[in-house]
Amino acid sequence: MEPIDIGLWVTGVMLLMVVLGMRVAFAAALAGVIGLIWIFWAKKDYAIDDFGWALGVAVKTAGQVPHSKVSSQALSLIPTFILIGYLAYYAGLTKALFEAAKRWIAWVPGGLAVSTVFATAGFAAVSGASVATSAVFARIAIPEMLKIGYNKQFAAGVVAAGGTLASLIPPSAILVIYAIIVEQDVGKLLLAGFVPGAFSALVYAALIIGMALTIKNFGPPVSGYTWREKFVSLPPALPIVFVVVTIICFVYNPFGGDAWGTPTEGGAIGAFVVFLMAVYKGMRWTQLKDALLETAKLSVMIFTIIWGVLIYVRFLGFADLPGAFSDWITSLTMPPMLILICILLAYAVLGMFMDAIGMLLLTLPVVYPAVMALNGGEAVSAADSTFGMSGTMCAIWFGILVVKMAEFCLITPPIGLNCFVVAGVRDDLSVQDVFKGVTPFFIADAITIALLVAFPAIVLWLPSLA
Amino acid sequence: MASASLVLTDDSTLSKLDQSLLKLERVFALISGLAVFSLMLLAVVSVSGRNFFNSPISGYVDWIEQAMPLIAFMGISFVMREGAHIRMDIVVGKLRGRALYVVELITTAFILMLMILLVWGSWAHFDRSFDFAAPMWSRDSSMDIALPIWPAKLMAPLAFGVLCLRLCLQIWAYGRAIATGQAIAVPLIADAAKQAEMEADQLKADS
Repeated sequence: MEPIDIGLWVTGVMLLMVVLGMRVAFAAALAGVIGLIWIFWAKKDYAIDDFGWALGVAVKTAGQVPHSKVSSQALSLIPTFILIGYLAYYAGLTKALFEAAKRWIAWVPGGLAVSTVFATAGFAAVSGASVATSAVFARIAIPEMLKIGYNKQFAAGVVAAGGTLASLIPPSAILVIYAIIVEQDVGKLLLAGFVPGAFSALVYAALIIGMALTIKNFGPPVSGYTWREKFVSLPPALPIVFVVVTIICFVYNPFGGDAWGTPTEGGAIGAFVVFLMAVYKGMRWTQLKDALLETAKLSVMIFTIIWGVLIYVRFLGFADLPGAFSDWITSLTMPPMLILICILLAYAVLGMFMDAIGMLLLTLPVVYPAVMALNGGEAVSAADSTFGMSGTMCAIWFGILVVKMAEFCLITPPIGLNCFVVAGVRDDLSVQDVFKGVTPFFIADAITIALLVAFPAIVLWLPSLA
Repeated sequence: MASASLVLTDDSTLSKLDQSLLKLERVFALISGLAVFSLMLLAVVSVSGRNFFNSPISGYVDWIEQAMPLIAFMGISFVMREGAHIRMDIVVGKLRGRALYVVELITTAFILMLMILLVWGSWAHFDRSFDFAAPMWSRDSSMDIALPIWPAKLMAPLAFGVLCLRLCLQIWAYGRAIATGQAIAVPLIADAAKQAEMEADQLKADS
């Protein structure tokens, strides 16, 4: 059997295991190890005496992967970002943000809902966890919106949708993971997330204002705060701004000159500030221990899937499956843009059934090279490329699109987790209510994604400066 | 999608073993969390040393690379116990009772097989850099300040070994569940609604 056939068989069995509910990390690693054994043994024409040799070589090849792949400085960003998220909760940043947003922007039509979007965007940025953000704001923002007469379903929809802004605005763990898997510059990807993330928030805000202007009794603006009240609300929310700005400045210095350091350092400084804030707000060892345990849990989960998939990738290299898939994709006669859109739609479907991180890690080793090939290869210049951008820029653009797709799935039926969480927090709302309320945002997201596809400059402007 | 967990306990030997192993796993996971915390402190010292005292930490990157295996591996068994490793539960979520336990038993047995192979493989990786005769028992060292690498490499087989114990326990538990119809010491599957409820409860407890 040719290596490529072995690749297809092993991949098929792996997908079967994943569908049967085997933990993704281990299914991928097992597929990798079995695939390696198979390929090495096939080289010896399946001689019984050589099985032991093939097993030994395969296991030792796979056994290096966990240590050698996780011992990297770039990957240390992931646990740091996760830690920021857990600490931010204890630092009381959610209420502070909501108060500040309310006092500053709630005077626009649909003001309280717009404030909620910006407050969730801000908190989501540091927490990085969409689901947790929605859960927290369901408790803070929904009651206030109901008090002044917002539709219940709509209020729930705002919170569920706002949570999805987490994964683009820096610090974003999922963009770090993408960067590592496709071997691109972490800093540039983090930077690239900022504008589309902010853009998504603005599209949401525009949508709400539009609805407030056209629908009767939508929810009155909230005004009457004095300047004093406005300014008093700012300091407690500042750590969030600090974290985002620090991370950006450690990647790219907007004031000219060199960046301040590495993204790793920026993330850690941000975490330290939030930590001090949390201690000031009364966090003690018990809470810190909880935060550390939760951080460890989520980090280990992500790292396990990273090394598991990388063992599989090691095998894929021997089987040359990504190469064959790329050849197939580039040989299609459809317009490349249509192929790209089909790939994105496939992610939308997959995302309905699978966690974003698992989905990306499992598919990118094969899909990413194909997308790069579609654009003309890793080293292509903007002038010669299909999509009008260099290889590096295409990698960044595709990463942002894929992550936005994954987030989009958090508010789509049947298992849009954010909607379930909001319904879970509020006893008076059913999941159907939340799905109904989130529909306008669902449409807004579809428009945002279309715009990001049609105008890559929205994504690429900031990273092209760095 | 990731599923949150629920583990039932009773006063059987199995459950007692589960509890004892859990204590060890929690210590390991906390070590991992503390490693994250130290990374943060290290960066603060490094940046302020460089910018304000003109004395950067030597070997900053070396230390990060030493800490990463602690973070990445030590909690692996704890996460398995809690059933928090990412999976797709659209099929198993539909199964109930013995059919579910049989599928879980099979996939867990496969994971055990994999992890035994990886304990072997990662031990071999460690063994290549460990040498009693060499200075600091080490055949290789880090780029900048020459830290021995074998302790970091040892973390993988160590954590994977504990995971193997956990997997043996889970296989026993699923086998027992097939016999008795009651699943003890293994994570039950929570659907999206249940996860949401747990997330909400946790917030209520925190605030």
